[in-house]
Amino acid sequence: MSATGPVITAWAAVSPFGTDRKNFLDGMAAGRPAASTSKPEDGVVPGEHGFVVPNFAIREILGRKGTRMMDRVAALTITAVGQIFDAGEPGNAPEGTGLVLGTTTGSIWGAMDFTRTSMLAELPYHVEPGRMPGGVMNCAAGHCAIWYQLTGPNTTLANGRPSGLIALRYVRRLLARGRANTALVGSVEEYSLDRSWLEYNARDGAPGPLGEGACLFLLENPGSVSPDRTPLAELCSVSSRVYLEDDPRSSMHACVLDALTEAGVEAADVSIVAPSGFTGAAGEYESEVLDGLFGRVRPQWVDVAGLIGDTGAVSSSFQVAAALGLAGDRPGVAVVTSVDADGTIACAVFRLFGVQT
Amino acid sequence: MTHRVVLTGLGAVSSIGMGVTEFTAGLLAGRSGAKDITSFDTTGFDFARGCEVPDFDPKDWIEKVPIDTIGKATQFAVAGARMAINDAGVDLDWLRSRRGLVSIGTTDGESNELDKMVGVELESGRAAVSATAARKIPATRLSLAIAREFGLVDVEATTIGTACAAGNYAVGYGFDVVRGGEVDFALCGGADAICRKTFTGFYRLGTIAPDNCRPFDKDRKGILHGEGAGVLLLETLESAQARGARIYAEVLGYGLNCDAHHQVAPNQDGVAKCMRLALDNAGLDPSQVDLISAHGTGTKANDVTECGAIHDVYGSAPPRTVSLKSMLGHTMGAASALAAIASALAIRNGFVFPTINHVETDPECAIDCVPNEAIAADLNVVQNNGMAFGGNNASVILGKYPVAA
Repeated sequence: MSATGPVITAWAAVSPFGTDRKNFLDGMAAGRPAASTSKPEDGVVPGEHGFVVPNFAIREILGRKGTRMMDRVAALTITAVGQIFDAGEPGNAPEGTGLVLGTTTGSIWGAMDFTRTSMLAELPYHVEPGRMPGGVMNCAAGHCAIWYQLTGPNTTLANGRPSGLIALRYVRRLLARGRANTALVGSVEEYSLDRSWLEYNARDGAPGPLGEGACLFLLENPGSVSPDRTPLAELCSVSSRVYLEDDPRSSMHACVLDALTEAGVEAADVSIVAPSGFTGAAGEYESEVLDGLFGRVRPQWVDVAGLIGDTGAVSSSFQVAAALGLAGDRPGVAVVTSVDADGTIACAVFRLFGVQT
Repeated sequence: MTHRVVLTGLGAVSSIGMGVTEFTAGLLAGRSGAKDITSFDTTGFDFARGCEVPDFDPKDWIEKVPIDTIGKATQFAVAGARMAINDAGVDLDWLRSRRGLVSIGTTDGESNELDKMVGVELESGRAAVSATAARKIPATRLSLAIAREFGLVDVEATTIGTACAAGNYAVGYGFDVVRGGEVDFALCGGADAICRKTFTGFYRLGTIAPDNCRPFDKDRKGILHGEGAGVLLLETLESAQARGARIYAEVLGYGLNCDAHHQVAPNQDGVAKCMRLALDNAGLDPSQVDLISAHGTGTKANDVTECGAIHDVYGSAPPRTVSLKSMLGHTMGAASALAAIASALAIRNGFVFPTINHVETDPECAIDCVPNEAIAADLNVVQNNGMAFGGNNASVILGKYPVAA
């Protein structure tokens, strides 16, 4: 267990399987889809179904103080971080802890509903001022920093589905440059009627159901890990490229090879592959590329999207968590890939230490 | 192995000028971009002045990406990138044959398009929103459209959503990645388009000035909403020298941190700490800094807090401290990127851009804001501040290259 790269020492998932990591692990291990909903009040477009975090009432979970204007994106994030730092007691995060959070576009509901209120009001500025920060993408990261006193680098990366992996790379660089020794990194997506309609109207081809949640990791320089935490995995490499319509497969192939090469890993070493499960054309190309690279190696394939839907920006973080969780006490190498419809492909390679999470 | 990082291409999409030449002329003249807002229906607001980019025709700048598939902020970002690439004197083969980073910061992404979508919804129902309109929304497209326009595939494209400091976050990220030798070039900056949502929010908070933006003035009345893009091309010093490039300035370092204090209000200690982090990263003492390009929004909360932090770091006689927002308004995610460009131009051309609309300095600010008229000055080091909602701060340090003997 002689990691040279940064290590994951803790993680948390608030998912359609339930509000904690155990719910997520049990759900993934069972391999059955989470309970879905088709209720419009849960934010589902009529005729569709989707996967929401069950019983996630913000003020019941986080209390009444400071939550009156909190949106779901911020609440999901704060709930997840609370599971990393001892039941969420403020002050438990190491001094200067960073937070890097991936998103698609923040809270689509927060942004659209603010404008909707303005357009429907007698005067256009008859809006709730406390709702204004919720319409901006960095709201959740800022809220979370205040909640847990995280004074280190605090960055919001809007890279959609691959943003969990893009965030890992960003933090890797922060740690390498000494801008932080410890950082929370992950991503978040909410279910709302506004997001649901947006995705419905934007969809291309056969749609998949949507899901939501927050998933975060504690990433640290190996020399900074305190004795009460155990490294679970090493982040060996993260790569990303842009694919263009004329030749998406070659970009995806090169991206995965970049990550393997940087990690010093051969395809034959890989024991777990967690692909995006994206239902669009880019997801098909991704599957072809992964089959070509790993088909004969026969690693364990992890399907997250099939169980909890298209969870947008948090999908790639859930894939990492699933790879960590399903490996259990077996050491190995995990490859996680993500694509979006807009042109990003990303890949991360982890060395799993075989420590039960 | 680490490399020195220099700025060799600048692209400015702004209310006071397009491209380096016009933008520089605007800075020297102390031009104001303020006019009545036309981007959205302002009926019902008592006043609605802002700094819009006038006469922007995306066809002048965008050849490959279909213009009707991208929103205005993305159009600004692509236009800024084209300007920066042309200004750097690199051709597309040069870019395509190298590994790169494209990182664009933004506050609102395509919120202007979201606003329009809400209008369609209220008029005709949610199902009436077209696929083309819905697909414009993901903020990742601000950086990806640049890669698409110029056919760049061996690039990391990252959109940074850290609100009104996002431009500095992007430039800082580019600095780290180029410095570490992980990429050969970085196209970094920020972009935003004026939108109803954000104007309404600031208006409701009572922070929009009815007429002009007057940072550091005792009679300041708040911000003006602005828009535009600033994109900078970063490369290693060796790369710039090898191709005989003009070097505007060197990126000496940056700092970033979080106040962890308040969602909206800035915190003096947090801002001071961020400025110190940037100076430490650059290996500089405050006495070596010649100019501060302040976040300088023109609200009392910002100006007094930021000037307090400047005094904490620099003592009782800080360097001249100017606000570009007096001319451009608050261009949100573009703001600190455009201010970094202005700072680089000031270093390269030996001047300090003024804080315009200035009558009497607020004694609580107690800085020399270079009122109303640009002055000639030999600048070796400039500190460029960016602060955002969420207590997100980032400060970038630029220096003269070659360093004065």
